[in-house]
Amino acid sequence: MMGIYIFIFFAYLFGPLIIMSITAFNSAEFPSITPWECFSFRWFNEGKIAYDGQHLAGLLSDWRLHDGIISSLIIGAGVVTLSVPIGMAAAIVLTQVRSQLRDIYYSISIMPVLFPGVIIGISTVVLWDRIAGLGGEGFIADIGRNGIFLTILAQTCFISTYCFLIFVARLQRFDQTQEEAALDLGASQTQVFFKILVPYLSPAIASAAVIAFLFSFENYNTTVFSILSDQTLTTVIASKVRLGISPALSALALTIIALTIIAAVTYEVLRRRTEKRYAESQEKFVKEKAADNRINKKYKAGFKIPKGITAILLIVVFATYGATQIVKNDLYGQSCIDAADKEKKSKFLEQLQTLESNELTDEELSGGSLGGNQDYGDIFGDPSLFQDFGGFD
Amino acid sequence: MSADVELSDVSVTFGSFYAAKNVNVKVNGGEFFSFLGPSGCGKTTLLRAISGFQEPSEGKVLIDNKDMSGIGPNKRPTALIFQNLALFPLMSVSENIAFSLEVRGVSKEERKKRADELLELIALEGQGDKKVHQLSGGQKQRVAIARALAVEPKVLLLDEPLSALDLKLRQRMRTELREIQKRVNITFIYITHDQGEALTMSDRIAVMNEGELEQIGKCDEVYNNPLTPFVATFVGENNPLYGKVTGIEGDKAKIETADGQYLATMNESKKLNIGDESIAFVRPESLFIPRDGDNFDNKINVNIESFEFEGNLKNFYASLKSGAKIKFSVPNAIDTSFITSGSSIVLGFESSKSVILPKASLAID
Ligand SMILES: Nc1ncnc2c1ncn2[C@@H]1O[C@H](COP(=O)(O)OP(=O)(O)OP(=O)(O)O)[C@@H](O)[C@H]1O
Ligand SMILES: [Mg+2]
Repeated sequence: MMGIYIFIFFAYLFGPLIIMSITAFNSAEFPSITPWECFSFRWFNEGKIAYDGQHLAGLLSDWRLHDGIISSLIIGAGVVTLSVPIGMAAAIVLTQVRSQLRDIYYSISIMPVLFPGVIIGISTVVLWDRIAGLGGEGFIADIGRNGIFLTILAQTCFISTYCFLIFVARLQRFDQTQEEAALDLGASQTQVFFKILVPYLSPAIASAAVIAFLFSFENYNTTVFSILSDQTLTTVIASKVRLGISPALSALALTIIALTIIAAVTYEVLRRRTEKRYAESQEKFVKEKAADNRINKKYKAGFKIPKGITAILLIVVFATYGATQIVKNDLYGQSCIDAADKEKKSKFLEQLQTLESNELTDEELSGGSLGGNQDYGDIFGDPSLFQDFGGFD
Repeated sequence: MSADVELSDVSVTFGSFYAAKNVNVKVNGGEFFSFLGPSGCGKTTLLRAISGFQEPSEGKVLIDNKDMSGIGPNKRPTALIFQNLALFPLMSVSENIAFSLEVRGVSKEERKKRADELLELIALEGQGDKKVHQLSGGQKQRVAIARALAVEPKVLLLDEPLSALDLKLRQRMRTELREIQKRVNITFIYITHDQGEALTMSDRIAVMNEGELEQIGKCDEVYNNPLTPFVATFVGENNPLYGKVTGIEGDKAKIETADGQYLATMNESKKLNIGDESIAFVRPESLFIPRDGDNFDNKINVNIESFEFEGNLKNFYASLKSGAKIKFSVPNAIDTSFITSGSSIVLGFESSKSVILPKASLAID
C-alpha cells in the first residue's frame, strides 16, 4: 500500500519531467508524444528548417541559448562567491547577539526573501543608474550599466539570505564550548575561526554554495529587470516561449536533468567509496587492537542492493517498451523524417493552393467585415517571406 | 611546574544576581583542591573566572601572585576541562591532543611525538587515529585530560569531568586522576557536586553554597568539624537534632530537644550561649546499639521504621518520639537480626562525635 502512495507521489513529481524528456526525441516541431513523428536527435543538434522556411534551432546551433547559459554561469559563480560569505558572516553575528536585539536582527536579515523579486531587480537598476550617472564616463558608469554585474548584486541580495538560513540552522547545533576550549588551549580568535568553526561549517558551506548557484541559475523575475540588454538562460527561454515552445527546450531540460543526475550519482559514489575505505581501516584497526573475544568472526561487510532498484527497473521496462514500439513501426532514422517532411510539405502545398484559388478582391479585403484580415491580405505577395525556404521539389 | 592560585574577594554578578560572592581562597602550587557544592551554586562560574572566560565583577584572580585581570584565556597558564569535555568531534584523538601545539606552530613530527607520549600517559597508546565518537566515555575523559596537559599548564581546572560516567568507571577515574596529578605534579582545581569524589581525591576542599564559600579545609577536618549546618549535611550524611542550648561545659554544650537532652561539641569559632537556638549533628555511623558495659554520653530512644541493605552497611530509618527522623548505619558484619520494623531500641553516641552549631538552613531542605 505504502508503495502505491510513493509511486503516485513520484509520478506526480517526475511525470511532467519524464514526458518532457521524451518529447525531446520526437522530430515534430512542437513538443509532443502523440502523434509521434520520428525518433531523432535533431533537437539536440541543428534543429530543422521548417517547411514554411522558419529556422527552428536545435540545442547545439542556438547561439542565443549558448550566450544565455554562459552569462547564467558567470552570474551563478558571482552570486556564490558573494552570498556564501555574506550569509555565513551574518549567521555568525547572530550567534554573538544576545538579548532582544537578536529578534530584530533576525527579522531584518531574512527580509530580502519576503520582498518580491521584481522589486529587488528594479530597485537595483534604479540605484545603479543613479550611481552610474554621477561618475560621468569611466569605470563606475560602465559597471553601473552592466547587466551581469547588476544581476549578481540583485540576486545576492536575497540569495545570501537563503545562505544565512542554512548557516543559522547549522550553527544552532554548534557547541560553543568548543570555541572556548580552543581559546583555552591557546588558539587565537582567527585560529578558532579557521580550525574549529570553518571545518564545522563546511557541509553548510557546500550546501549553501549549491543552493545559491541553483537559485541564481533559475531566477527569472529579478533577473529580467537587472540584466538590462544582456540575456541569461531564463530570459532567453522566456523570450522563446513567447513564440511558441520548441522541442529544443525539452532537449535542454533533459540535458540539465541528466547533468544533475550524473553529478548526484558521482557525488554519492565518491562518498560511499570514502566511507567504505574509512570503515575498512576502522575494521582493520579494531581487529588489531581489540581483545580476541570481542571480535565478531561472523561479521562480513556485505553488499546491499540499493532500495531505488525498483524505480530504475520500472524506467527500464517502459523505455524498452517504447523503443520496441518505435522500431516495430519504423518510426526512426532519416527515411522516416524525410517521409514526414514530405507529407507535411504536400499538405502545406495543398492549403496554399486552396487559398490561392479563392482569390479575394480588394473590396472584400478592405470591407472590414472580416475584421483584421486586411493585414494579412498580401501575405503571399511578400517576397521576403519565403526567402529561406528551399522551395518545393 | 605548578602555580599558586589566589582568589581575592572575587564576586561575579549576572545582572543583579551574585553567581559568586566575596570568594577568598588560596590554592597552593601542586595541590589537588576541590570546590564542592550543589548544582547552581556557582562552581563553574568561579572556574571560568580563574580560566579567564569570565572577568570577576569585583576582586582579583592571582596566579603565581600575578594579577590576571585583562589577560585572556589563551594567555593564562591554565587549562580547563569542560563539564561536557568539548572535544573537537571533527578531529582524530591525536589531533585533539596536539591542538594546542598546532596553534603554537609546533612542527608535525614534534606534535606526533608529544601526542604519543600523552596517549601513553592516559593508557590509550596506538589509538590516536580514532575519531572522538569512537571512544568510550572514560576514554573521552582521558583524552580531554591529555589535551589539557599538552599545553603544559601550571594549573589544570576540571569542571565535573566525571559526572557523565557510571559509578565503577567514576571510581577508577578518581584513582587515575589522582595518579596523573602526582605524575605531572601541577595544581589541580577540581569541581564537583559529589562529596565522595571530593573527599577521596582532594588534599583540601572548599564547600560552596549559594555563591559563597562556607568552609575551606582538609577533607577530614571538613567532615569531622563542619562549620555550618549546610556543610554538616552536605558533606556526608548527618542527623540534625534541633533544640536550645541549656548549659555549657568547656568546649561542650548541652542541648535540650523535644526528645531529650544531649551533650555535643562546640566548634572553636562558633561559640554558643545559653538559650541559643541550635542544632546538634550526629552521623549515622556514630550511632551505636549499646552492648553490655558500653557507656555513651548520650542515649536516644528510637522506633525502627524500615531498613535497607547497602552492601557493606545496613541502614536503619527510625523515628523519635517527637516524630523527627533519624538514620543509623551498622556494618554488615554485625548481627542485627533482633532489630525488626516496629521495634523500639536505645541508641548511644559520644559527645565528641557530635557537633553543635547555631541554627541555620541545611543542605537538604
Ligand atoms: N551567563 C549567565 N547569565 C546569567 N546567569 C548565569 C550565567 N551563568 C550562570 N548563571 C547562574 O549562575 C549560577 C551559578 O551557575 P554555575 O554554572 O556556576 O553553577 P554550577 O555550580 O557550576 O552548577 P552545576 O553543578 O549544575 O554545573 C546559576 O544560578 C546560574 O543560573
Ligand atoms: Mg557547572
